[in-house]
Amino acid sequence: MMDVIRANLGPMMFAGLVLFLLIGYPAAFSLAAVGLFFGFVAIEMGVISHTYMGNLTFQLYSIISNDLLLSIPFFTFMGAVLERCGLAEDLLDSIGQLFGGVRGGLSYAVIFVGAILGAITGTVAASVIAMGVISLPVMMRYGYNMRHATGVIAASGTITQLIPPSLVLIVLADVMGKSVGDMYAGAIGPSIVQVALFCIWVMILSILKPEQVPALPPEARVLSGWPLALKCIRGIVPSGALIFLVLGTIFLGLATPTEAGAMGAVGSLLLAAMYRTLTWKLTYQAMSSTMRITAMVTFILIGARVFSLVFQGVGGGLWIEHMLTGLPGGQVGFLTFTMVFIFFIAFFLDFFEIAFIIIPLLAPAATKLDINLIWFGLLICANIQTAFMHPPFGFALFYLRGIAPPQVKSRDIYLGSIPWIVLQLILVGLMIVFPEMVTYWLEKPVTLDPAALQKQFDALPSVGTFELEGLTLPKP
Amino acid sequence: MFKIWLALASIGGMASLVAIAWLFCRQLLPLSRAIDKLGEWLGVIASWLVLLACLVSAINATVRYLISYSSNAWLELQWYMFAGMVLLGAAYTLKVNEHVRVDLIYGAISDRARHWIDLLGGAIFLTPMCLVMIWFTWPWFVQAWTLNESSSNAGGLIRWPVILLLPVGFVLILLQGFSEMIKRAAALRGFHQHEYAYEKPLQ
Repeated sequence: MMDVIRANLGPMMFAGLVLFLLIGYPAAFSLAAVGLFFGFVAIEMGVISHTYMGNLTFQLYSIISNDLLLSIPFFTFMGAVLERCGLAEDLLDSIGQLFGGVRGGLSYAVIFVGAILGAITGTVAASVIAMGVISLPVMMRYGYNMRHATGVIAASGTITQLIPPSLVLIVLADVMGKSVGDMYAGAIGPSIVQVALFCIWVMILSILKPEQVPALPPEARVLSGWPLALKCIRGIVPSGALIFLVLGTIFLGLATPTEAGAMGAVGSLLLAAMYRTLTWKLTYQAMSSTMRITAMVTFILIGARVFSLVFQGVGGGLWIEHMLTGLPGGQVGFLTFTMVFIFFIAFFLDFFEIAFIIIPLLAPAATKLDINLIWFGLLICANIQTAFMHPPFGFALFYLRGIAPPQVKSRDIYLGSIPWIVLQLILVGLMIVFPEMVTYWLEKPVTLDPAALQKQFDALPSVGTFELEGLTLPKP
Repeated sequence: MFKIWLALASIGGMASLVAIAWLFCRQLLPLSRAIDKLGEWLGVIASWLVLLACLVSAINATVRYLISYSSNAWLELQWYMFAGMVLLGAAYTLKVNEHVRVDLIYGAISDRARHWIDLLGGAIFLTPMCLVMIWFTWPWFVQAWTLNESSSNAGGLIRWPVILLLPVGFVLILLQGFSEMIKRAAALRGFHQHEYAYEKPLQ
């Protein structure tokens, strides 16, 4: 009896995790409690030693001293300031006027503005709310199909997840032990393809069902010529400056992603000052909500580390790895399974829970199957994007519901999201079939002298927590 | 044999914690309000750390680029501030009910059932977890304090303040958790109107 329990502590722990998370007590505390409970059971049964739990302090220390995690408050703060500063409004106004004459023009404008906002910051709320407030009424007034209008706004708000500098990519890079720069570089291809897919869909609609996406009548296009050009410049120049401040400094190697986030945050404050929307109230609200999100996210990470420390200790990690590498079909089987799994688990778990709990379990198996982790991470990112869109819990739909005029039915918002979810899944499929989409933008791997590398690794102080950090030594 | 007693004692501890919160919630409400005030006050400090950390990081990067001057002290100060916002702010986040939950079931049940989950969860999950964490991190702080440990980086900062934040943070969460238990018990018994309904956090 005891032996059976001893051998199956890993699966039991996993079952316990599912059970306790389902109860609905804050995930961070349930996770840590499950971890500690099983930790003491395991010590009692002699599966792990007393001293093993002492690694807890290292785990805590490595979380609070992690430079990369600092980018969470920075990017969140930046998003919270930009959300209310008026930049998105200016962009939408001007680009909407620019494309208004074309069939489906407002939809294109929403997609492009979504992409630009995505390249500035990484929060879905900011884009969806701004576009919902400004573009939705215009689209409704000129006879856009309601489902199409709400769908395109929600979908364009979520593309910020995949476009650098996205917080999701930073967290994924950290969890997988890859560089953020590589993750960003790999994301360029999929981002472009995604915007293209969205535009193609609008184009198809404008040919097949032109009545759903009418062009704006001339009297609605009040601006033209120089005033329009000026207005476009007023929206695009500051956006370009911010994009350079954040992305440019990262790609040029001038700043770490964390510092780029901080500069972006300061830049967005300056921008808000320029737009004359910077008030003390706005700043404090942004500070306070950023603090709460940071504390929440970091505590999930603390809980997840406590859980996985014990989970690895009782051999649960190996159990999962065996199960995943043993899937029929090797790489393809593994990818299909994980993608379907993540698509469905995203109905119930928040991104950070998936990143900190699920992905550390998947990454070792992916490495073992010789899957490029950057590619794998971006697949997960593109996949998780759909979670913002699927009814009934999708955040993007939620925000849209919050700001849409009352004549917009929830039913329209939910049904309208379906084609866009399908488009995002097509993107995932394309990325699986054409990995070049990701790898083309990655720098060629540098060949290293294996002997010298081994020497360096031998010289590293060992703390015994390497594999838990998502770090695996490269095979020399 | 000893281990069995220990297990029974911890179950007894959890049960008596719930019992205390349940029986004396009315008398304990002022204590709960005091704890909430403390949490709010530290939450303000934690919010300020967000802005300060941003400024320090941005200025540090700019200065390093312009005049190639940088000091490890500034780099380390950033993550000290990060630790501050997380560990001082977590209790306040708990108070305003913004720690994320899996709301598959929680979202579908009545307010009373939610209060019960929070009351029991506080005793079964949160309290033991905080106690264990304090038990692990406190000796570590004592060690850093007595040995006067400091960063191994040139110009690095002294270590004990940030290590002290860990046990302090967990004590604050422990207190806030107890305050939440009191408020939930009071709400269940009709002495208190609970104000922070759970909403999924925005991203």
